[in-house]
Amino acid sequence: MFESEIVIGLEVHAELDTNTKLFCSCPREGNDKRNSRVCPICLGHPGSKPVMNKKVLDYGLRFGLAIGCNIAKSLVFSRKSYFYPDMAKNYQITQFEIPLCSNGIIKLSSGKKIKINRAHIEEDPAALTHPAGINDSAYVLVDYNRSGNPLIEIVTEPDMTSPNEARDFMKELIKILNYLEIFDTDSCIIKADANISIRESGYKRVEVKNITGFKEIERALMYEVERQKQAVSEGAEILMETRSWDAAKGITCSLRLKESEEDYGYITDPDLVPIDVSDELIETIKKNMPELHHAKLDKYKKNISEEDAKVISSNHKLAAIYDEVCEEIDPVFAGRWIRRELMRVMNYNKIEFEDLKIKPSHLIDLFKLIIEGSITDSVGQKIMEKLVEEPFDVNEYVNSNSLKTISDNSELKKICKQVINENPQAAEELKAGNTKSLNFMVGQVMRITKGKADAKKLVEIFKSIF
Amino acid sequence: MKSTIEYIERVSNGSVDIKKETEEVLSNLDSLNDKYHYLGAISTGLARELSNNVSIKPKGRLAGVYVSVKDCIAVKGVETRSSSRILSGYKPVFNATVINKIISEGAIIIGKTTQDEFGFGSFSTNTGIGIKQPVNPFDIQRAAGGSSGGSAGMAQVADFPHISLGESTGGSIASPASFCGVVGLTPTYGLVSRYGLLDYANSMDKIGPIGKTVEDCALMLSIIAGHDEKDSTSYNPANSKEKSDDGSKNIDYTKNIDRPISGMKIGIVKESLGEGVDESIKNKVNECASDLKAQGAIIEEISLAVPSEYALPSYYIIAVCEASTNLAKYCGMRYGKHESLKGNFNEYFTKVRSKHFGQEAKRRIILGTFARMAGFRDAYYLKALKVRTVIINEYKKAFKNVDALLTPTMPVLPPRFDEIKNLSVLQNYMMDVLTVGPNLAGLPHINIPYGMIDGLPVGVMLSGDHFCEEKLLNVAFNIEKNAP
Repeated sequence: MFESEIVIGLEVHAELDTNTKLFCSCPREGNDKRNSRVCPICLGHPGSKPVMNKKVLDYGLRFGLAIGCNIAKSLVFSRKSYFYPDMAKNYQITQFEIPLCSNGIIKLSSGKKIKINRAHIEEDPAALTHPAGINDSAYVLVDYNRSGNPLIEIVTEPDMTSPNEARDFMKELIKILNYLEIFDTDSCIIKADANISIRESGYKRVEVKNITGFKEIERALMYEVERQKQAVSEGAEILMETRSWDAAKGITCSLRLKESEEDYGYITDPDLVPIDVSDELIETIKKNMPELHHAKLDKYKKNISEEDAKVISSNHKLAAIYDEVCEEIDPVFAGRWIRRELMRVMNYNKIEFEDLKIKPSHLIDLFKLIIEGSITDSVGQKIMEKLVEEPFDVNEYVNSNSLKTISDNSELKKICKQVINENPQAAEELKAGNTKSLNFMVGQVMRITKGKADAKKLVEIFKSIF
Repeated sequence: MKSTIEYIERVSNGSVDIKKETEEVLSNLDSLNDKYHYLGAISTGLARELSNNVSIKPKGRLAGVYVSVKDCIAVKGVETRSSSRILSGYKPVFNATVINKIISEGAIIIGKTTQDEFGFGSFSTNTGIGIKQPVNPFDIQRAAGGSSGGSAGMAQVADFPHISLGESTGGSIASPASFCGVVGLTPTYGLVSRYGLLDYANSMDKIGPIGKTVEDCALMLSIIAGHDEKDSTSYNPANSKEKSDDGSKNIDYTKNIDRPISGMKIGIVKESLGEGVDESIKNKVNECASDLKAQGAIIEEISLAVPSEYALPSYYIIAVCEASTNLAKYCGMRYGKHESLKGNFNEYFTKVRSKHFGQEAKRRIILGTFARMAGFRDAYYLKALKVRTVIINEYKKAFKNVDALLTPTMPVLPPRFDEIKNLSVLQNYMMDVLTVGPNLAGLPHINIPYGMIDGLPVGVMLSGDHFCEEKLLNVAFNIEKNAP
């Protein structure tokens, strides 16, 4: 049936970055006070009716078109019936027969293609809090703030063959969602349910629910593979079941057995009319489609190293900064400085792209000064450190702090001589041709000039003196 | 009695002491209710507040008119329970769109009318546990019809200017209007907003007026009709491919009501005068047809074979499928009846639902859940949807030739409660045989009282094409004026 040792398929739920919920005008995010972002519609009060947030259709189409899906002629919602305390109506409004998007492809960084069976739109249920953990609580508390938030459910074919591949898939998916500007890493939830089976059990399918984020998915699936392998080696039977991932404990535990497929008694939601997905709408979405990371990578690779191109294209915000800087600055120079210096300072200060306050215009000003030789690389690096902390007008800063490179050779010579006089021993060694001493002497001049001297020039001066 | 429109004029020019009159109306409701059980809740506080508003500003197209509201329509702060015990104590936090509309036109809401629980019935004998059944105003041993029984009964017995808001899914306005001898209009599906209507079967639920006269119903329709962005199924003339007559949002349905009908083509549906319909009722329909002919209308017998045969089964399948999902939300968690918290969630909601749903509600939940299950879905639910399309097309074809269809409303005179007890479930469902067709197809239809037999009222029913309420009301008015 399968060729690989491990077979993994994913159902990923990603929250879409809209202002309001899917079927009412409550804010999707914001006030975190429990049950504060609610109305009769997302609470399922008798007589309330859903009205579709059209933005969600745009976002869904953006995703479907980006991964090459077939798009349905109309958006049709169904009721999926089951009783659960997180469900305001005891049915979920979702899509059944005709998903908005079907048959797409997501390419992993290895180049392997993962087939996407379908992607559809649905509402998020409320959030349940188990005060003493999922297995030991005597009661649950329900928070409806999340109830009715828009989700896109992305269902893959069972094409992944290792937990690592599942992680890579999640990473690529998040990248796509980010690039399409339909998902906000900070405010949007992304969760995966994984179907996983191993050869040793004859590919008995186990579902692991509620895995958050791409790091977790690898952990959860690695655990589950080991658990299944061990169970088989001990002679136990793997059961068709649904398990939940407990991230805190790092284990999966059984929720329920799957003796038969659940019957959700789908009917078309009679409160919602099908919404036309016109060719005009699709054309408009296509026209305004942002460039995806693969396209960016290919473009960047023409100018800068593949390594740098990968790093810059891996984050849509960084790529956007780079693109804008490149409109005025040589891409090779910009690539080197963004990849090396900006990222160095950000990593050092543990700043995420989401919190980055620096604007492309700051970088353009800074890079221009470096390229024209008005400031040295070393001054540039120091300004970068300060800019990332709190942006300011670079030109003004350079002037008011007299940071311009010292171009007067006689001035530099004077300082060089001063350094020789103060360090007679190093001077002797330098005379003997010791390069270490040369570096030391240059460093001393740099210290005195606060980095405003051109190091190359200093080397020449020292050589000429001796 | 003078017409409601004349009364509104008197209120508007300040010659009615509306606060005093409201107290009088309220003071009589209890004793009226003791006898007939038409009101599940009397909204004394709201009525006083609204009459006070009218006394300060006696304006609006319903200024000072008393309105009773079927219990399935949400009225803010007034117990709204679709005559079900499971919603005991539930007071909505918002008004249905129709309620906001009538309040802004000066209506005074007096209470919530009793009905079959969630609309599940044709006699109003399926009221929820502990809720008294409304009785026929002409004979309290007999049924008022249903499911809007309280609304129709109230419309008959009110001796003050009154219009009721009813609701029909499969005949729930026409049936009680016929049994109670009043006019009941079910508008085209989508013409009146369903926002705030507690759902029975969302693809067929329609709010409509029940009143003493065709004119009263036309007046009420003028106010409650119109697009509502809060209801996705609400008809928006702006999006319509068919051009509306004058493009205006607000049609005054009373305006052309008395135009002569000579030259109009009225179809008599052959199958509606067949087996199972009382001879005396058939005679009334023929009498009505003769009168229309005398007024210059052209009478034509037509056949509607598919709707006559298949409307009832497909209606019931679609209705119970939708209803069984709608009723899932009633689980004792957020509103309505609660029980002590014992056991897990499944045990808890099972207890609440077992204890507080009535028998017919349980029957329709089980039927609907069954018809939606994998393996049966194609055979029942999906097939019923296809049949509905065929039926709509057959009606559409008929309306290319005729302006309206004339049939009896109910196949029998109002039965006695002891007779109803002996009916099988299927015989019960068969009571809707004449009304389900237009309801399933979303067509407007109206019951017009047409004389009495053995002291009991008889009604004839007119059905029209989608959004042809003006024409329908015009013919109905001309039937009413000569009715025995």
